Amino acid sequence: MSAAFASALLVLAVMAAIGAPIAFAMVVSAIAYLLLSGQDVSLASEQFIQSVYDSFLLLAVPLFITAANIMNVGSISDRLLDFCKAAVGRFKGGMAQVDILVSLIFSGMSGSAVADAAGVGKISINMMLKTGHYTPGFAGAVVAASATVGPIIPPSIPMVLYALVSDSSIGYLFLGGVIPGLLMMMMLMAVTSWIAHRRNIPAEQPVPLRQLPGVTLRALPALMMPVILLAGIYGGATTPTEAAAVAALYALLVAGLWYRSLSFRSLYTVFLDSARSSASVGLVIGSALIFNYIVATENIPQSLAQLMASLHLSQGGFLAFTMVLFLALGCLLDATTIILVIIPLFLPTARALGIDPIHFGVVSVVNCMIGLITPPYGMLLFVVNGTTGIPIKDIVREGFPFLVALLAALTVLVFFPELVLWLPRRFGYEG
Amino acid sequence: MTQLFAGLRRMTDAAAAAMLAALFGVFLVQIAARYILNVPMGWTVEVCLTLWLWLVFWGGAFCLRPSDHVRFDVLYLSVKRPTQRVFGAVAAFVIIVAFAISFLPTLDYVSFYKIKRSGTLGIRMHYVFSIYLLFMLAIMARYGQLLFRFLAGRPDVEGKVTAYERHDEGSIT
Repeated sequence: MSAAFASALLVLAVMAAIGAPIAFAMVVSAIAYLLLSGQDVSLASEQFIQSVYDSFLLLAVPLFITAANIMNVGSISDRLLDFCKAAVGRFKGGMAQVDILVSLIFSGMSGSAVADAAGVGKISINMMLKTGHYTPGFAGAVVAASATVGPIIPPSIPMVLYALVSDSSIGYLFLGGVIPGLLMMMMLMAVTSWIAHRRNIPAEQPVPLRQLPGVTLRALPALMMPVILLAGIYGGATTPTEAAAVAALYALLVAGLWYRSLSFRSLYTVFLDSARSSASVGLVIGSALIFNYIVATENIPQSLAQLMASLHLSQGGFLAFTMVLFLALGCLLDATTIILVIIPLFLPTARALGIDPIHFGVVSVVNCMIGLITPPYGMLLFVVNGTTGIPIKDIVREGFPFLVALLAALTVLVFFPELVLWLPRRFGYEG
Repeated sequence: MTQLFAGLRRMTDAAAAAMLAALFGVFLVQIAARYILNVPMGWTVEVCLTLWLWLVFWGGAFCLRPSDHVRFDVLYLSVKRPTQRVFGAVAAFVIIVAFAISFLPTLDYVSFYKIKRSGTLGIRMHYVFSIYLLFMLAIMARYGQLLFRFLAGRPDVEGKVTAYERHDEGSIT
């Protein structure tokens, strides 16, 4: 590591710590690096512009954001909740189970955990609190924990970003997330059921069976969304980026024409909000890629690979080490930054050790999503706190059993790659 | 003055929303052309990428309040107001200096692209990339204004927004 690079890291750490936007902290540190190493400072701008302009793959990001926002504005979430209430409301801790199931279905339509927690999660917290059987902390914890599954079940924005830095196929990454997502859901449902029994949280009034077809029919267009999306990608009809646009169009048609719950005013708000989020995310992505460029010119990944090789780590040892590291960083860093800047550092070593890139990608994304509920910096904690006013410390306290369950799921996924790779292999993945 | 700014703000917001809507629309045209009409069109890809580039930097320049960015503000929020002001002033100052240092070299870089035309539409590339210069200028002006606020000891806007408002934009994960 050169002195210039060390100074740049210091600048980055200080700027981020005093609260500068992460994107600008990265640009500033890149400029500092170029100045100190005597290079042309316009390289930072060049990398920033080119990394945004060159990647067709990244277009999936604004499109998935738009799709999620449309679904949150239309009454799609309400109808899904009705459906899930009819399906699992009859069990102990019914409303909490409803939230987990609705997150699972919603995750098949949106690629974003935050969209899940802020949209459908907010409604289900209100529903839980209205029953009077749930503490606010518990309701918030269920929603935050179940939202982590959103980007594991396809589609997934974090996996698009991983595909970008690792050159792996988004299609196979998406498929690799299906079983892990279901596993995480099962763990969360089991924990909920355990807590519900211990606290004796009653079930909801069961929805009569004869109403079930009607409720299902009302939710059907929304339930079809993941099917259309996945059939499009795996039937070979559309690329994942195109699927994102089709998903947004489908959400628009369902919310606007079928459910008639979308006004021009709300549509404008959807586009403006999506434009803002896209810009903010685009800046983080672009600046993270400038930083990547510097890391690459400094040969950091290769030096790290040599260092790791000298330690004679086994596959398992390496995975355990990186997972603990990502979890620790997840308490402090934004998931986008970890995926774009930290994970690429370890890719050469992972390759050298013969670790499958799809497996490594999926478990790393699961890891980063768990980082969204670990304090002090946990995006989902902020979102639930902000939309409902439930104090973060209550969510964290009640969320502990869920965190343990998710960590258990992660451990199983790390040491049993077959769980990730089985489905992609059925679709022709040769890894 | 405030009204003028509010009007400008509405216009820049509307432009950003329009860019996103156009990006979405052109993408659909591309899909329709490829799968329904069976005539792949090259221009759609170029238009989408240009709109995406402009959306990111236009939005970054005019539509994101400092509080909309992805930030690690745990430390910032845990210190007292006067310290927050020092933090904010240092961050703003460093951002302005760094952007100012790289502005002229970037201007050179962007103008160099006037010799190159885009792949399908033949637009001169320095027009496409010029949005980054506008972005740099806007950020320097924005942080200049913030720096002034911090130095003048005026209450900063940051303190009043809730955690959600600080984090609702900018997270995709």
